[in-house]
Amino acid sequence: MSALRAELLKAGTTRLLLWFGLGLVAFLLLVLSIHIGSHDRAGLGQLSTQRSVFGFAGLTAVIAILIGAILVTAEYAHGTINQSFLAVPVRGKLLGAKLCAALLVAFVLAVGADLVTLVIAELWFHGRGATLHLDRYTLAPLLGAVGASMLAAAIGIGVGAVFRRQTASIVTILLWLLIGEGVIGIIGDDARFAPGRALGAVAVAHSQGVADRLGAWPAAVIGLLYAAVFCAVGFLVVLGSDVPSSGD
Amino acid sequence: MIEVQHLTKRYRHATAVDDLSFSIPRGRITGFLGPNGAGKTTTLRVLLGLALPTSGRATVAGRRYRELEAPLLTVGAVLEASNYHPARSGRNHLRVLATAAGISRSRVDDVLGEVELSDAAKRRVGSYSLGMRQRLSVAAALLGEPELLVLDEPANGLDPEGIRWLRNFLRSYAADGGTVFVSSHVLAEISQLADEVLIIHRGKLVAQQPVAELIARAAGATRVRSPRADDLLARLRDAGIEAEVAGDGLLAVQAPPETVGDLAAEAGIPVHELVVDSGSLEEAFLELTSESPE
Repeated sequence: MSALRAELLKAGTTRLLLWFGLGLVAFLLLVLSIHIGSHDRAGLGQLSTQRSVFGFAGLTAVIAILIGAILVTAEYAHGTINQSFLAVPVRGKLLGAKLCAALLVAFVLAVGADLVTLVIAELWFHGRGATLHLDRYTLAPLLGAVGASMLAAAIGIGVGAVFRRQTASIVTILLWLLIGEGVIGIIGDDARFAPGRALGAVAVAHSQGVADRLGAWPAAVIGLLYAAVFCAVGFLVVLGSDVPSSGD
Repeated sequence: MIEVQHLTKRYRHATAVDDLSFSIPRGRITGFLGPNGAGKTTTLRVLLGLALPTSGRATVAGRRYRELEAPLLTVGAVLEASNYHPARSGRNHLRVLATAAGISRSRVDDVLGEVELSDAAKRRVGSYSLGMRQRLSVAAALLGEPELLVLDEPANGLDPEGIRWLRNFLRSYAADGGTVFVSSHVLAEISQLADEVLIIHRGKLVAQQPVAELIARAAGATRVRSPRADDLLARLRDAGIEAEVAGDGLLAVQAPPETVGDLAAEAGIPVHELVVDSGSLEEAFLELTSESPE
């Protein structure tokens, strides 16, 4: 528990979460405004439209995977990993604490994003004279956003541990999400098993899958497998390597 | 306190530490010397569990670092002064470490006071000078009130005032019964500070001796100045003593000053100067590290 508390303290004593949080709020405000503004009043009344509005909270997963990676790589970038391993020399314990901290941070961030999404949507709908229907069907994506963000944070921890270099980790993640996930679409419907698409399926939280998209629960299992594999590989890399030093 | 047994650390293209064995006793200041690239930092990092040994073993109080139940309460380490998140305050940096090690937060303010950083505690470490960051490193090492301090080149980049502060601090720590193992290539600093020195070169141990013995080992020839230096040189050589001209009227003699003085007195040769070239740690160091095989 002390290692976990220290990891949460690390995350809270820099401005990393503040900037990511503010960035997420600004982004949600922008995309929700565009999305809601592009529908007429009749369209806004449809439950599928309202559900798609809440689906934007799933963008938190992108932030979560970056935060997961940065929780590991920032320590290597600044050399603080040396003192972290001196305080908690059992490396698996420190990495486990980082994983738990990333899951907690992602959970809080996703819940916060859900609330922000709800507030922005309510203000827009109210302003346009439409009514939000808050039921199990429309709100499911908000729950999906929490699940997808926690899975993404775990994958981020694994990716960060594999690379241990901040720029390499972030660039790889962004390239994969922006380009790799698109390119892999050429293999057809099986692309739904790709990590980004699986997390996307968790975020949109449809109970039933379709040809090119998994249902929420199978997607969550696939996401969990990706998280387990990335974390296992990353942890093995860290356990079996020297901590970088600038000395002789 | 520290035991290193047949420690070897190989990287892909180089052997940094080669079958190194030594032990460091409790309650003393031991200097760890060697030229750049000798393997000092690698040895310390293996000792602290930050690098994995290729073979051999390095232990603190009989255990590998990672096996210590409360590592920060046993060992305090001062590594590179750049190991900080620049956006985190000095106090928060220490709070993170204290929390991870289960040390009370009140101890953070105590150690900040000990290293004279209380006034800068809330400032971001990125705004600290190198000397302040080095003091913060010392504060981190002291958090757990450890019985052993391991320091890697702690004087690097410090100004004379900072070096004096560090020297006084380490002396006071050792006087209170602490054990200090400090690597450095600033030989003058170590000669003033350490009880014993351990010298490695190319990853191998070349000497482990008390500083006084090492300096005595490097003590040079007896210098003798005489207006009849040529006569004295001849008498010395007749007596089988190695001697050579070292200047105008000056001889360098490989014999104690008593022998040289007695011989000159017996021969009625006046002597105007008779001194022993005092050795230095630097001379001993250079002698030992140049003697080592490639």
